[in-house]
Amino acid sequence: MDNKNDLPISRRFFLKGLGAAGVTGALATLSGCKDAGKPSGGEGWTPQQYNAPGSWPVQVRGRVPIDPRNPSIVRDDRKCILCGQCTEACERVQSVEGFYGLPIKNDITCVNCGQCALWCPTGAISERDDISKVLQVIGDTNLHVIVQTAPATRIAIGEEFGMPAGSIVEGKMVAALKQLGFDRVFDTNFSADLTIMEEGTELVNRIKAAGTGHAQGGHGHAPTALPQFTSCSPGWVKFCEYFYPDLLDHMSTCKSPQQMLGSVAKTYYAKKKNIDPRQIVSVAIMPCTAKKFEAARTEMNSAGVMAGTPELRDVDFVLTTRELARMIKGKGIDLAKLDPQPYDSLMGEGTGAAVIFAATGGVMEAAIRSGYYLLTGQNPPEALLNLNAVRGLQGVKEAALNVPGVGELRVAVASGLGNARQLLDQIRADKQAGRPPRYHFIEFMACPGGCISGGGQPKTSVPPSDWVRKERLQSIYTIDAKLAKKRLSHENKEVMDLYADFLGKPNGDMAHKLLHTTYTDRSAHLTAKTKA
Amino acid sequence: MTINGNRITFKMTPFRLILIGFSLIFVGIVAYRLVNGLQMTNLTDAWPWGLWIFIDVKLGVALAAGGFTTAGIYYVLGVKKVKPVVKPAILTAWLGYCLVGFGLLMDLGRWYGWWHPIFSWGEHSVMFELYMCVLLYTIVLTCEFAPVLFKGIGLIKVSSFFTSLTAPLVIGGIALSTMHQSSLGSMYVLTLGKLNELWWTMLLPVLYYSSAVAVGPAMVTCETALAGRFFRHDWDAPAMTFLAKWSGYVMSFYALLRFSDLAVRGQLGALFALDTESLMCLLELAIGCVLPLFFFWSYKLLGREMTKAMIVRNAVLMVLGVALNRGNVVFTGMAKAAGTSYFPSAGELFLSIGLLSVGILVYLFIVENFDVFPAHDRYVNTKKEPVQPQGAGCARA
Amino acid sequence: MSKGVLVDMTKCFGCGACTVACKLWNEKKYDEVNKPTLGEQAQLVDINWTVVSKHDVTDKSGHPAWRFAKKQCLHCVDPACASSCLVGALRKTEQGPVIYHPDLCVGCRYCMVACPFNIPKYEWDKSFPKVSKCQMCFTRVAAGEQPACIAVCPNQVMTFGDRDALVQEAHKRIADNKELYVNHVFGETEVGGTAWLYLSDQPFAKLGFKTAVPQESLPAYTWQILSKLPAILLGWTAILSGIYFINKRRNSIAEGKQDSTGGPQA
Repeated sequence: MDNKNDLPISRRFFLKGLGAAGVTGALATLSGCKDAGKPSGGEGWTPQQYNAPGSWPVQVRGRVPIDPRNPSIVRDDRKCILCGQCTEACERVQSVEGFYGLPIKNDITCVNCGQCALWCPTGAISERDDISKVLQVIGDTNLHVIVQTAPATRIAIGEEFGMPAGSIVEGKMVAALKQLGFDRVFDTNFSADLTIMEEGTELVNRIKAAGTGHAQGGHGHAPTALPQFTSCSPGWVKFCEYFYPDLLDHMSTCKSPQQMLGSVAKTYYAKKKNIDPRQIVSVAIMPCTAKKFEAARTEMNSAGVMAGTPELRDVDFVLTTRELARMIKGKGIDLAKLDPQPYDSLMGEGTGAAVIFAATGGVMEAAIRSGYYLLTGQNPPEALLNLNAVRGLQGVKEAALNVPGVGELRVAVASGLGNARQLLDQIRADKQAGRPPRYHFIEFMACPGGCISGGGQPKTSVPPSDWVRKERLQSIYTIDAKLAKKRLSHENKEVMDLYADFLGKPNGDMAHKLLHTTYTDRSAHLTAKTKA
Repeated sequence: MTINGNRITFKMTPFRLILIGFSLIFVGIVAYRLVNGLQMTNLTDAWPWGLWIFIDVKLGVALAAGGFTTAGIYYVLGVKKVKPVVKPAILTAWLGYCLVGFGLLMDLGRWYGWWHPIFSWGEHSVMFELYMCVLLYTIVLTCEFAPVLFKGIGLIKVSSFFTSLTAPLVIGGIALSTMHQSSLGSMYVLTLGKLNELWWTMLLPVLYYSSAVAVGPAMVTCETALAGRFFRHDWDAPAMTFLAKWSGYVMSFYALLRFSDLAVRGQLGALFALDTESLMCLLELAIGCVLPLFFFWSYKLLGREMTKAMIVRNAVLMVLGVALNRGNVVFTGMAKAAGTSYFPSAGELFLSIGLLSVGILVYLFIVENFDVFPAHDRYVNTKKEPVQPQGAGCARA
Repeated sequence: MSKGVLVDMTKCFGCGACTVACKLWNEKKYDEVNKPTLGEQAQLVDINWTVVSKHDVTDKSGHPAWRFAKKQCLHCVDPACASSCLVGALRKTEQGPVIYHPDLCVGCRYCMVACPFNIPKYEWDKSFPKVSKCQMCFTRVAAGEQPACIAVCPNQVMTFGDRDALVQEAHKRIADNKELYVNHVFGETEVGGTAWLYLSDQPFAKLGFKTAVPQESLPAYTWQILSKLPAILLGWTAILSGIYFINKRRNSIAEGKQDSTGGPQA
């Protein structure tokens, strides 16, 4: 052994060292300490109303369910702050959420009205974006892309460019659309007048049938039930299909102006201009999210059926007013600075009666103006051109008019589905009790105030407010009273030409094929309740 | 610096160069793992445990069982003839546990908190008990091998000090090993309902412990056979034969227990169902139990002496069997509950290969320079003439 | 006084308010494409502490229907994860929630292996990963408030209260509406009982629940083994010491008291 290599560690020193290490170790392990630090989670927040101890009831709670395949609206959870406004709009204003029993069936009960999107403060709920699809077809030189604009867009889209609420920007909007590259810019006002011709004729037939006891008009199975319901609001139509399918025979068989223009474009227009309907892409600018749903309804392919290509849609894409504004801004176009341009002919002429479709009560007024003419052969008196009884933001309005040779015409107007429900419950009760109908004709609009405050309109107030609605309504009536060249649908020349050259007569054979539709009983998809 | 009075050597061979290559890759992968976390693995929520747990925790610990078993046979049971293999067995066990520790450190998601269980006890956790016992046993093994190291660097007194601790260290080592070898099995008792019935049993601790006690000497046999190849080490027949018999008897106990357990729990039907789990279980039992025991008992009953080839073959079979068993518990038995498949990533594979390479290199270095094997068999192809072996090995009874 | 939650899945229409509340309260990110919180592909994962999965079923009248099942940690009465944790990072609290403390965690992931419902998820892509699971809004519960998901539910699918009382309430609801509910309260006895209890009109397996789990507490099995260890350790050490001393004595007598306690180097 070489002792020179031994380290000078004595046994005592070594043992002391071991002892010290041992004591430290023992202390450490004996501590076996239970302090665990902070648990993970719980650093965030929830809205105030959910933070009280206990389980107190909360008035506005949760949010609406949205099917991810909903064609009209989508939701971005990242932006959702659980404020509950969507629930308030859907349950209390529209009376949809909560009006069905649980458990659900295989459907999320939604009428696609988009009021939730209008109320959502963060834009978590918004319309499904179809801008890129439309840009794509515009860019395709082989396709002939036409666009139609609803009555309500021309008095609202200016707001997206900083203009005051209700600014009338019809010509500028047309100019912007032309600059975006649409091949033709048409006006839904044209087909609104067309709708009045069809629906007015249908109403006259129903009234006559009620008088004589059997159906009138070209078909043995023409509808006869009174009151007749308007059918241009797809959110309202779906609401009726869900909750009041027993009353669907009251629904006018007329399509909405959007869909009528769609089917006319791919038949009449295509023929007139010698364009292959399969090359035509039909886009609609609407104040409405439900119109996206409507354009996709399976039966909305009349032009295609007629041409032997049933996969051809009457309307291909629907953009909301908000989407159009984004599209225009995306191209760097300042709408406010554009010079006004006119609509293209063949389907670009509209009357004052057409433009008031945007207002609650407007369809009613327009129908009365031409209905009077259809019933009496005379144009309506001045007083009927400003029917205040059906104007304004009251939820349910009624009026009674004297039509010479016919008698009293009783009408009602409801906007907002909660208000519609009141009327419908009454009608249902009347029918069950065998009482005669209170009204001949009812205009129903899904959105409070009508299309001017539709689910796709600019969010100039959040939540939507009556002052904005009033400004827009005023502009609509201004266009009708002061700016429109004609105020009666039956005087629309382009519509007259359409009948003369192509359709024949209102409610006739051709009209039925292209301009009328059928409805679906959706009551099997839910367990309807009368109260939330 | 000299070791045991001789110059430090490390003979470079192609094999060692390859190992060095893998070790360098290993260093790189470790750095990557520490920086980037576990995304370099193919572990998922469905497969939280994969190759590293299998090789490091399960297999590594089981195969390092040679340390406590051999030491126990020599020191506690007083079987002198196994003396030549004790030091190498302790070295392998010590290095094995060091590798296990490092490998486990790489697998831990929050590895920097590795010392937490010392201060915060999960008393109801089998893993806690495993942790404490492995930690303490690694210290024990370090102390058990310390004499060789300290003697090599000339600290004779320190070396003697550790030598004086041998008895308590060995006894403590066996006790600690009993605890943690069985815990490796107990840890899967909690997976009732997930682990396939062919492997889940309340007897998991006993089965794991007995298979470790059987495979420890088997692993020592394999290492001795391999070392013999490289270092021209003599095959010490008495020692090896004893270990082979030991393994044979203990593995018989394991097999009896295992098959009885399967029968009592009504799993014999499942054992022969010939689906994936059944085939893997049959493979494991065939290779690890049936074949080696067949050879062992047939030799015994025929009164034949076990040859070196037969001993090595049985040892290899048992090692493979234990590997299959641990693998089946970690992978095959849990696959249905996981629902998806798992295969280790390249990073996982090379980290394990690299870890093993580092271990082998350290082993080779220590064996070449320190007093692990009997002195005259330490060199291979050096200037010194290999001394002729004296009779049947250098072990002194 | 341990709290629980009764979930009536017949009332859920999948609005996802609960998932948003959870993300808001726990500051979790969204990954709508790869890790959705709603729908057929909804999965619990590191950033999703609760999801609402959608299932196509057939209702009692034979009509196809949708059912939505809120999934999250079930906060077992005797949790396997807490018993498995070697460092006590997962604990069952007095109030009921089973909560995770990342500061203690070493990342061994035994809890993930142990949980019979595969609830704990891992932050695989982080350099300092944590186990990820519902904490039952522990600070809210400790302050007497409801967990965020329960507070925001528009249909009051979930009821928060004492677990024992909720078990009774669940059976009462089943008894009051036998045609609707399946006669089983999921979580009453599964793995010895969970704090989150479920009612359904559909078989639970159809809604993605793991029904084939043991009906007893899992830690109880392990404890049968662990509780014997101290005794085994002491006893075994004593036996080994005994054998050692007997052999040492025998050897020293045989070799005439030569010192043979030498270590490996002798």
